Amino acid sequence: MECVHIDFIVCFWSSRNEKENWKVHFYSFAISVEGLSKIIINTGQDIFIEGCDEDNPYVAKVTRLYGDENGQQMKAVVQWFIRVSELPVNKLKLLGREPHPQEIFYYECRNCDNEVNVESILRPVKHLDSNDPFPDSADKDTLYVKLSWDSKVFRVVNSTVVESPAEPAPASSPPSSTPRGPSRRVLPTPDHAIMHKASLGEVGCSSVGTPANVEAESLHSATKLSASKCLSAKRRNATARTPGVRKRLELSSECLHKDFKMQPLCRTREQQGYIYISNTKSSEVENEKSPMVTETPRSSKRKSAMLVSSRIKKQLNLLENHQDPNSSGEEEDEFVPSKNDLLSSSEEEGQDEDGPNIDDQVSAKKFRYVATGSRNSRSKQKSYSSARTQRRTPAKKISPGTPQTPRHATPSIPIRSLQTQQPANILEEARARLHVSSVPESLPCREQEFQDIYSFVESKIVDNTGGCMYISGVPGTGKTATVHEVIRCLQHAADMDEIPSFHFIEINGMKMTDPHQAYVQILQKLTGQKATPDHAAVLLEKRFSNLAPRKETIVLLVDELDLLWTRKQNVMYNLFEWPARRHARLVVLTIANTMDLPERIMINRVASRLGLTRMSFQPYSFKQLQEIIMSRLNKLKAFEEDALQLVSRKVAALSGDARRCLDICRRATEICEHSAADPSSTGLVGMSHVMEALNEMFSSAYITAIRCASTQEQLFLRAVITEFRRLGLEEATFQQVFVQHQALCRIEGLKPIGVSEGLAVCQRLGACRLLLLEPSHLGVLQRIRLNVSQDDIFYALKAD
Amino acid sequence: MLKLTCFPTFSHFAVDSHIIMSKRKARDAHLPVGECIKQVQQILRERFCERRLPDRLEGVEAQYKHLLELLRRTAIHGESNSVLIVGPRGAGKTTLLQCVLRDLQKEEKVQKNLLQVHLNGLLQTDDRIALKEITRQLHLENVVGDKVFGSFAENLAFLLEALKKGNRSSSCPVLFVLDEFDLFAHHKNQTLLYNLFDVSQSAQAPIAVVGVTCRLDVLELLEKRVKSRFSHRQIHLLSSLNFTQYLERVWTQLSLPDSFPDKKFAQEWNAGVKTLCEDKSVEEVLQRHFNSSKDFRSLHMLLMLCLSRVSVAKPTIKPADLLEASRMCFADTTANMLHGLSILELCLVIAMKHLNDVYEGEPFNLQMVHNEFKKFLHRKSNSMYNFEQPVVMKAFEHLQQLELIRPVDGSSAKVQREYQLMRLTLDHSQIMEALQKYPQCPTDIKQWAMSAFG
Repeated sequence: MECVHIDFIVCFWSSRNEKENWKVHFYSFAISVEGLSKIIINTGQDIFIEGCDEDNPYVAKVTRLYGDENGQQMKAVVQWFIRVSELPVNKLKLLGREPHPQEIFYYECRNCDNEVNVESILRPVKHLDSNDPFPDSADKDTLYVKLSWDSKVFRVVNSTVVESPAEPAPASSPPSSTPRGPSRRVLPTPDHAIMHKASLGEVGCSSVGTPANVEAESLHSATKLSASKCLSAKRRNATARTPGVRKRLELSSECLHKDFKMQPLCRTREQQGYIYISNTKSSEVENEKSPMVTETPRSSKRKSAMLVSSRIKKQLNLLENHQDPNSSGEEEDEFVPSKNDLLSSSEEEGQDEDGPNIDDQVSAKKFRYVATGSRNSRSKQKSYSSARTQRRTPAKKISPGTPQTPRHATPSIPIRSLQTQQPANILEEARARLHVSSVPESLPCREQEFQDIYSFVESKIVDNTGGCMYISGVPGTGKTATVHEVIRCLQHAADMDEIPSFHFIEINGMKMTDPHQAYVQILQKLTGQKATPDHAAVLLEKRFSNLAPRKETIVLLVDELDLLWTRKQNVMYNLFEWPARRHARLVVLTIANTMDLPERIMINRVASRLGLTRMSFQPYSFKQLQEIIMSRLNKLKAFEEDALQLVSRKVAALSGDARRCLDICRRATEICEHSAADPSSTGLVGMSHVMEALNEMFSSAYITAIRCASTQEQLFLRAVITEFRRLGLEEATFQQVFVQHQALCRIEGLKPIGVSEGLAVCQRLGACRLLLLEPSHLGVLQRIRLNVSQDDIFYALKAD
Repeated sequence: MLKLTCFPTFSHFAVDSHIIMSKRKARDAHLPVGECIKQVQQILRERFCERRLPDRLEGVEAQYKHLLELLRRTAIHGESNSVLIVGPRGAGKTTLLQCVLRDLQKEEKVQKNLLQVHLNGLLQTDDRIALKEITRQLHLENVVGDKVFGSFAENLAFLLEALKKGNRSSSCPVLFVLDEFDLFAHHKNQTLLYNLFDVSQSAQAPIAVVGVTCRLDVLELLEKRVKSRFSHRQIHLLSSLNFTQYLERVWTQLSLPDSFPDKKFAQEWNAGVKTLCEDKSVEEVLQRHFNSSKDFRSLHMLLMLCLSRVSVAKPTIKPADLLEASRMCFADTTANMLHGLSILELCLVIAMKHLNDVYEGEPFNLQMVHNEFKKFLHRKSNSMYNFEQPVVMKAFEHLQQLELIRPVDGSSAKVQREYQLMRLTLDHSQIMEALQKYPQCPTDIKQWAMSAFG
C-alpha cells in the first residue's frame, strides 16, 4: 500500500538501570506515510497497532521502544488493551451491561506477546479512564478504559496498574493532541477543587501513581509534563506518600533536561516540529503560540488540516477571552468529554464553586473541537472510506442496500407458552435419555481417541504453536461428539488455570452455503464482525500472519471438511496454511467421513500442509454399542438384556452407527408403550418390540408396495419382466411392454386396457420408483427399467 | 323409480297420488328440490375435491396413532423427531397429516405450543427460497412485513443461530412439513435437510421434521451424513384394500350425512346410492377402476363426473351416468386426436405404421413416408390423393406439432426437414381404433391400413 518511513528522532539513551543495555532505546520515533505528514510516537503513548481488522486496530500503550544492536529491527514493548469487539462474544455477558463501542479493557493476560515491530504501529490514539458514565460525544478517537480483562473476569481497573510506567501523556502526539495541549495550559494555577478531587485518588489519566520499577520508561512523558502537571502531581504524591513516585518525578526532570540537550543533534526533517512540541510542553508560558504548533508538524498540506487548525485557533481565542482560571491546570478536565460528566463529578465532590458552568461549557466545547480535529486528521491517514470507519459496533444483521433491514435482529425462536412435561414413567425417561440430542456425562468407548485428541490440542495450546489434525470416520461414530468433549475438558482445565486459555471456534461445511463462507464464519466467530468472503479472507490472512500476535490460541474445528472443496482448493489451503505461520497459534481439527480424503480430493500442496496427524474412528462394535446404550440408560431398567444385545448386534452388522442404534431403541420403547395393555408384557422392552422396531426401520417397503399395488400395476410389472426376458435386456420401451401387457390381460381374463390407461399405470409405478422411467412427454417411446430385482417381484406376486 | 318421485314437481300430469303426497310433505317440512340438489352438489364436491377432511380415517389407524403420538411428544415434551410418510400418489398421505394436525390442535396443551412451517418441494425449488419461506413462516426478526432480508448465507446463519439458541424446555417446538420431500433431496449438498435433521438430533430448539413423499427409495436419495441424522422412522401408507371395501367406500363417499337438512331427501338419495352400488354394470365398471388403481383420487374423479350430471330434472345418479363417466375417464386422448386429422395426414400416419412394421420401429423421415404413400397411390392408380410435395410437407409438420411424431433425439437441426428422422408416438392399436371411428373413412385407405404389406 503506502510506503512507510520510520525515523527515530530521539535516541541513544543509556540505560544504566536496565539489564539489557545492549539494546538501543528510543524515546520516540516518527512514522511518515508517503504523501502524508508524519506521526510521532512517543513512549507512553497510546497507539493503534495494525490488526486483522482495519476498522478496529489493536490498541496498546507503548512502554518501551528499542532497537537491536545493529539498529535493524525496531521493537516496541507494549501494554495491550482489548476492544469490545475482540472479546469473545460469550464472555461479554460477564460485563453485565451493554459495552460502549469505544470502550477498551486493560488486558491482563499473561500469555500474550507484548513485543511488536514498530512497522505495525499505525498511529497514536488517546484513552480516558474514568469511572464516570460514558459521554455522549461520538469522538471516534477517544477510547475509554473502565475495567480490566484477564480472559476470565472483568475487574475494576487498578489505577496504579493502568497508569503504570509510562504515563500516556496523551498530549504528546501532534495530530490529535496539539490543539488540546496549549488550551489546557491557559493558566497553570491549579484549581483547588479539582486538586482536591485528584487527591482523593480518583482515577485519572494523570502521570502519577507510577510504580518505580518501570520508571525509566517514563522519562519521556515526564518531559511533557507542564509545570502545572508537575505541581498537581506533586501535591497528589504528597497526599499519597509514595516515595517511588517522587523518585520518578525527579528523574523526569532530569530527562527533561537531557531531552533539550539532545535536540540539536537530531537533524531529521520532523525535528523542528518535535522541538517545538517539547518546548511547548516544557514551558507553560508558550500557550499563545500553540495555534502555530498545530500547523507545524503537519505542514498543513491539506485543506482539511487548514480547516481544523483555523477552527482550533478560533476556539483558542474564545478560550483566551474567557480566561477562566479553573478550566486548566488539571488534565482531567480536558479528558472529561461532556458537560454532564463533569457536572456530576464535581457535584459528587460537594464543591461549591462559583463559576463551574462556564468552566464546564468551555471544556465541553473544547473537547468537541478536539474531537473534530482528530477525526479529520485521521481521515487523512486512512485510505478507505470514512463511512466504513464509522461502523464500530459489529452490526449483527447487515444486508447492504436495504435501509429498512432490521439491523439488530436477534435470532430466536419464540418461547413456549406451556411448560414441558417431565417424563412420567420409566419408558419415557429412557426415551429422553436415549435421544441422540441428550448429552451424555461421558463418552464411553472412545477413550483412546479422546486421549489422542486431547493431548494433541493440549500440547499445542501449552506450546503456543499451531497444528492440523484430520479425523475421519463413518457417520455416527462419535467424531464431533469426541472433539466437543475434548474441548469441554480443555475449557475446564483452562478455567482451572491448568493450561492457558484458548478460543474455540467451530464451523461446519454443511452449515454454510458456499465454501468461501467459511472465512466469513471464522471471522465472525473470532471478532464478531461481518464481512464479505473476500474481505474476510484478507482480514484473516492478516490476522494470522500478523507480527503483533496478541492472541490466545485458537482451536478451530472444521466439520464436514469435504464440503469446503473448491476447484482451486484455496479455502482448504488457507485453513491448513495458517497454523503453520509463526505467530498464528491456530490449531485446526478437521473432520470428514472418508479416510483417504487428503489423497483423493486434495492437491499436493494442500495435502502436504494438512500433515500426517490423522486419526480414524472405527465403526462401533456391538459391545461398544451395547455399552453406549447402557451408559445412557444409566442403570435405568427399561430394556431386557437380550433386547439390547439384539439391537447392538444388528446395528453393528449393518453400519455401526450409534445414532441408528439409539433411534431403534427409542422406537422400541414406543412400541412397548403401545403394547403395554397386553397382560403378558412385563413393562420392559423385550425382544419382540425390538424386532418390530428393527423391521420397521430396516425392511424395505418394496415388497409390501408390490403386494398392495392394483391388479393392472402388478400385471404391468409382470409384463416388464416378460419383455426383459424376451429381449434379453434390462430395458424396454413402453410400446414393447404394452404389447406384453395386453397379452397378459387376455390370459388373466381381464379386459385389455387402452394406451392412456396403460401409461397412467406405468407412471404410477414410476412415481413410487418401482420402475425407472424416462420423462413422460416421450409417451409410448419412453424406456422402462426396473428399480427392484425381478426376484423380489416374483416373490411378492407369488405369495399373493 | 326414484326419478318418478321427483318428476311430478315439474310436470303436472301426476302419476301416483301417494308419491305426490309424500313429496309435498317433504317439501312442506323441508327444502325445495332445487335447494336440495344444490346442497348435495356442495357437500359431495367438497368431499371429492378433498376440501373437507374426513372425520375419521379408515384403514390407517395404526399410522394415525404413530404420527399423532410422535407430534404430541414434540409439542408436549419438546422431543425432537423426524419422520417420513411414504405412500403412492392419492393414498392419503397429506390427509393423514392434516387429520393428525387438526386433532392435535384440538388439544389444549398442544394448541399454543406448536409452530408450523409448511414447505413444498415443488414451490421451494432451492434452499435459498426454502430458507426465506421458513424465516417468513416463523416470523423471525429479520422479517419485515412479508419480506425477508439478507443474503442466502446470512439467512442460513440466522436461522441456525435462532434454532441453536433454543433449548428443549423453553423454546416453542417447530413442526417442519416438507411436502414432496424427495425434491428437497436434490438441493445442492442437501444443506437444508442436513441442518434440519442435525437440529432434530442435537440439543437445540425442539423440532419435528415430517417429510411427505411418494418415492419408496427416498432414503437412498439422502447423502450418508444426512441419512445418519435422519431417525429412519417411516410411515408407509400402502392400502391393502379389497374390492368389497372399495365398494363400501364408494357407497360412503356418495351417501349424504345425517346432518343433511332435508331428511327425506337424504334418505331417498342414500337409498338411490345403495341401489346404484348394487347394480351389476356399475360393479363391473368399478371393478375395472379398482383393477387399474386403488387410489381414491381417481375414484373421486369418476364420481365427480357422475355428480355433475345430477340436476333438478334428474336428482339421482343412474348406472348410465357412471358408465358414461367411466368411458370418459378411460378415453384414449391420443387416439381421439386422430379423429381430427385430414385424409392426407391420416394416410401419412398409416404410411408410418407400415414403415414401422417393415423396419421394426426404426426411425423414418419425410421422404420415406412420402415414398410409402406414393407406392400406395401407385397401386391404387387413382390420383385422388395425389398431393404436391409442399402440401405433404405441411401435413407432416402438422403431425409433428400435434406430437404424433417426434424427432429422434440427437438429430441436429442442420439436417433438412425432409430428411430429419422421426418416430411415431402412436401405438398400432390406437391407429386401428381411430380408423374405425373416423367419420367417412375411405374404404381403400382402411384396407391399406389393415393390409400386412405396404
